[in-house]
Amino acid sequence: MAGSGTAHLRPAGEVVLRVEDLFVEFPAGRGRSVHAVSGVSFDVARGETLGIVGESGCGKSTTARALMQLPPPRRGSVRLDGVELTALRGEALRATRRRLQMIFQDPVSALNPRRRVRDIVAEGPRIWGTGADRVDEMLAAVGLDPATAAARRPHEFSGGQCQRVSIARALVLDPEVVICDEPVSALDVSVQAQILTLLERLKERYRLTLVFIAHDLAVVRNVSDRILVMYLGKTCELASGDALVERPAHPYTRALLASVPRGGLGLPPADRLISGEPPSPVTPPSGCRFRTRCPEAGPECAAVEPVMRRIGEDHWVACHRPEVR
Amino acid sequence: MPRPPGRRDRPDRPDRPEHRGLLRRLGPAFWLAAGWLALVVAVAAAADLLPLPRYDETLAGPPRSGPSAEHPFGTDALGRDLLSRVAHGARVSLGVGVGAVLLGLAAGAPLGVLAGYRRRRTDAVIMGANDVALAFPAMVFALAVVAFAGASLVNVLAVLGVLSVPAWIRLVRGTTLVFAEREFVTAARALGARDRSVLWREIAPNVALPAASYAFVGMAVTIVAEGGLAFLGLSVQAPTPTWGGLINEGRPVMETAPHAVLLPSLVMFLTVLSANLVGDRLRALTDVRQSGLEPVRRRPAVPLPAPGQVHRIEEGALLQVAGLRTHLPTPRGTVRAVDGVSFTVRRGRTLAIVGESGSGKSMLIRSVLGLVPGPGALRGGRVYLDGRDLTGLSPERMRRVLGTRFGAVFQDPMTALNPVRRIGVQLAEPLRVHLGLGAKAARARGTELLASVGVPEPARVMRRYPHQLSGGMRQRVTIAMALSCGPDVLFADEPTTALDVTVQDQVLRLIRRQREERRMAVVLVSHDLAVVAEWADEVVVMYAGKVVERGPTAALFERTRMPYTEALLAAVPKLTDPAHHPLRLIAGRPPDLADPPAGCSFHPRCPYARERCAVEEPPLLPAETPGHLYACWYPRDTGARAPADTGSGTGTDSDGRGLDGPCGPGRPAAAGRPGDLSGPNDLSDLDEGADSRGR
Amino acid sequence: MTAVFRAVRLLVVLLVVTFLSYALLSLLPGDPVGQILGGAATPEAHERLRRELGLDDPLLVRYGSWLGGLLTGDFGTSYITGVPVLESLADRLPVTLELLAAAQLVALGVAVPAAVAAARRPGGPLDHALTAICFGLLSTPVFVLGVLLILVFAIKLKLLPATGWTPISLDLGWNLTSVLLPAVTIALPETAVYSRLLRTDLIATLQEDHITLARARGLSPRRILWRHALRPSAVSLVTAVGLNLGAMIGGAVIVETLFGLPGVGRFVVDSIFARDYLAVQGGVVLISVGYVLVNFAVDLAYAAVDPRIRRA
Repeated sequence: MAGSGTAHLRPAGEVVLRVEDLFVEFPAGRGRSVHAVSGVSFDVARGETLGIVGESGCGKSTTARALMQLPPPRRGSVRLDGVELTALRGEALRATRRRLQMIFQDPVSALNPRRRVRDIVAEGPRIWGTGADRVDEMLAAVGLDPATAAARRPHEFSGGQCQRVSIARALVLDPEVVICDEPVSALDVSVQAQILTLLERLKERYRLTLVFIAHDLAVVRNVSDRILVMYLGKTCELASGDALVERPAHPYTRALLASVPRGGLGLPPADRLISGEPPSPVTPPSGCRFRTRCPEAGPECAAVEPVMRRIGEDHWVACHRPEVR
Repeated sequence: MPRPPGRRDRPDRPDRPEHRGLLRRLGPAFWLAAGWLALVVAVAAAADLLPLPRYDETLAGPPRSGPSAEHPFGTDALGRDLLSRVAHGARVSLGVGVGAVLLGLAAGAPLGVLAGYRRRRTDAVIMGANDVALAFPAMVFALAVVAFAGASLVNVLAVLGVLSVPAWIRLVRGTTLVFAEREFVTAARALGARDRSVLWREIAPNVALPAASYAFVGMAVTIVAEGGLAFLGLSVQAPTPTWGGLINEGRPVMETAPHAVLLPSLVMFLTVLSANLVGDRLRALTDVRQSGLEPVRRRPAVPLPAPGQVHRIEEGALLQVAGLRTHLPTPRGTVRAVDGVSFTVRRGRTLAIVGESGSGKSMLIRSVLGLVPGPGALRGGRVYLDGRDLTGLSPERMRRVLGTRFGAVFQDPMTALNPVRRIGVQLAEPLRVHLGLGAKAARARGTELLASVGVPEPARVMRRYPHQLSGGMRQRVTIAMALSCGPDVLFADEPTTALDVTVQDQVLRLIRRQREERRMAVVLVSHDLAVVAEWADEVVVMYAGKVVERGPTAALFERTRMPYTEALLAAVPKLTDPAHHPLRLIAGRPPDLADPPAGCSFHPRCPYARERCAVEEPPLLPAETPGHLYACWYPRDTGARAPADTGSGTGTDSDGRGLDGPCGPGRPAAAGRPGDLSGPNDLSDLDEGADSRGR
Repeated sequence: MTAVFRAVRLLVVLLVVTFLSYALLSLLPGDPVGQILGGAATPEAHERLRRELGLDDPLLVRYGSWLGGLLTGDFGTSYITGVPVLESLADRLPVTLELLAAAQLVALGVAVPAAVAAARRPGGPLDHALTAICFGLLSTPVFVLGVLLILVFAIKLKLLPATGWTPISLDLGWNLTSVLLPAVTIALPETAVYSRLLRTDLIATLQEDHITLARARGLSPRRILWRHALRPSAVSLVTAVGLNLGAMIGGAVIVETLFGLPGVGRFVVDSIFARDYLAVQGGVVLISVGYVLVNFAVDLAYAAVDPRIRRA
């Protein structure tokens, strides 16, 4: 179940971003630490969208920050086009920044309230000395009128428009990979649809590779080619969207899907697939981290941590007792 | 200073244009104060040039004479001209004030920024030193240093400047910390900005205004401190006059010549007051969006029609809301947050109220409960419980109804419980107040309640504080509190929005079970259509403070009539849809409730809108399913809509990607007519719409 | 933070504070020798006395012996008056303590009800009036306020004594009349600070969900205001009570001089003018240590006010 392992990684030549055995920990006081991410591995092929889904505390946002090296992970490997980012420091790391960009959850907090929209979007080109000519193009591409919008400050915009500015800022440097950390979870349904559609369109237009992180399964399903399910800092299941929704194998994935109201997937009621609440990441359970809430858990789950193994075409699961159909 | 967490974020609304004039935002008091400061500075600078007697010229006039044309401030005990002395005293006061601020700023700001931005060890070291510095009794220390080192202007300035450094560090560090944690700083670093550039471009502009504000407050503090030293005779020595010294000199002759004390005091007071005022107004500017000191203009709102109307009481309805309206006066005009909403709920049923933010759904609940916020809010319409009108009840009787017959659960379980009171105390309170239970009985009952909502180890949880529980547990506790006095109606306002999806399922299941066990009615407010479809028996769809469609859940979701409801349904991604399935887009944005469009409030965004929609507001019309009502002149799925817009649009945006056909398999009613939704969905069109509107 | 960590930290702060105050006062120009011997003494006499007083020793040694004295209750004996410093301070401490306690009591006693009243209707006439009064009080220096109060209550109305002190042991009534004006003088600016802080936090708290829910539970406005809203809003106030003690001590120095009260503040001022180094040092240390201890207590009080801080 919720475990680690790297069997699901593809050959290095096929992927643009490859994350291997990522560990992130935070001090929790009194010498203890929060095991936020513990041995997560995944990769993303060029032009692909990888969705990462999980509930709060599963480490998905921490993973995003670790990919950006903000702050760098405690250990593990993050390779962008074969370049090991975790080994870089100072200027060398800074030089890779423009190739990996990020879009944040809170559209308001993500923009400096004292700067004008044009300056916010032009900050990247200012730092790197290129792409200044793309500022207006980017503003237009995200659906803002450069003539009227650029001189305004963020507080004059709605949440959806702020998110558009954020996207323009991330894309103006023409990055290879964009990490979207819950980009629509603070938005209303109608605005969410606008932003999701915009992201899809920009992805095609600029041939982007996306890592799309969200807690909403339906949203992740809509934008992703492959989906990675995380639980308490571990990977549970990785599959194409279709396989994951139609043949969920991991008990946690099944619980997650069954909890979606009107999911329409014919799963048993969620309360029979999961019980209780997530344990503390300071003292995670031994073996499989999901076992304390898993109706299928057996003695081996407490003893041995499951690793990712293949159960079908591009379908991987870390579980001792998966539901394979 | 530590602040309780969990203050509300600002709602997702656009603001009015920024350039409303700094002048008006700062207010007349600011300009008066700034004017006074400028005057004092000018007088101090030009004191020697002014046509005044020398400050140390004795017997310039008769001693102890009051204000006169010749000596506007009168004379002191030695007959010296007081105005001249006050003017020269201003040099010392302002010189020390400005100098100490500059010194404090120069030393404190870099250290504060460093501590706030670097954090960890740097922060610990700087703040540790700062704590020690703060432990020195500043005034006593200043006295000692000045006394021993010599009472010169430079020494006074240096001591007061150094003593102001800890306060500067505190302030700058605090502000830096706030902004360094914001995501825009992370974003700048992600772009590859160097630390220096991040500090200078991202953090400094945000720290500048609070620092400017504190510069004036600090100046006021320093002027007072210098005055105190001078009063004790430990500032710049005679014959140079100082304000504090003048007041001290005037003291012995206070009875015969009060002006000698009062006039220097007044000048000093006005100067300190002005500096404080300027500082305060500048700080109010820190809120980029809106200055907090702007008084809410109490323009009298148009009173809502007297509730003389008699409504037909529906048979069997436990709760009936009839024509409910809540209007809030704001500086922008009257916001019609709830505008004529009617619905009924029966015992044992769940009614859902669904809408996007700003639709008025939360205000509706508060209005039903009689909890309309703020002064000047107007409420109209009626609320009947078991046929009895609640709107006419006295506050005391309404509280009785609230306590015993209604229960409420709100969105964020983090803020829904009082952070400083134990669960047990909070849970027992309504039992004791409304049911008159004793302390022991209330505790026992509270423990039972916790057990009934599925809280493990209820007796232990009773002794806990809210922050010691998980989000899901907290929401269970708020549900237990809402259920404590056996309510007939449970109002649940977004009860699961802040929760994870697996916990959401548990909480909604719990609410349904409680509803069945207690034969309650449930009013469930949500933005989530899927939640509503799964858990409600009847649904009310709100838009711009009005009901636009309502009816039994199945009928409303399968035979949707109102275009807004239809668009909302198609905008939500569904699990059963394939990857990259296009979503339906709704152009534009919700209307400004202070200035709603004429006619149907959805018409500016509606792809099917025609002339009539912009002129005439549609009433709620019955659909074929009993109880299904919709407010639309050209509803979906009936013959009423002319097919002018079908099939014509290609639904292709500039990138050649089709945006039509958003109806997936899960939507049988919509599945048959993919062409319907295509025409107005061009993306660029939509974006322009989003930006040009309401600006 | 654990209790041990706090205690260690407190000790370190106390050590640093005493050392710095000792060092700074020692390093300032001028020394007691000249003061004791007068201008006519020979350089040899100066030298001899310096050695006798141990002023030639290195700073750390002097500090060490002085601190050792402190710990055994020996603050040294004034070179000027020949009275042990500890004795002088002990005589005067009760006056200052009573003054500060009375001032704190007055400040809180006025500020809390005023803030609660203002927060009930933010932007209402009462709130506006209170804001204006607060600004006025905040901007009035203590010595101006004291002079004005004397002018009005002692000179014009002749209700209260302008100066002088009656110990509590002599006559409670007279003691109270003699402490009233000075305490009010110190308290009024603090009242303004406190009520502004509490008002702002109360208004924010009253907008929170748990207050709306308390109203939805049918609880009375009075109960909600005092039992539900006051305590979560009090954290800033508690902090200010500790931090502002420094400002109040500064005020006490002036007020004791102005009203002729035999307190620690006036003792320090008098000693400064008399160049009585040991006495000044003793006074400064007493005040600093008191300030540090009170703020330590305030840190502990947080936990009582807000349980969220207990585990943080």
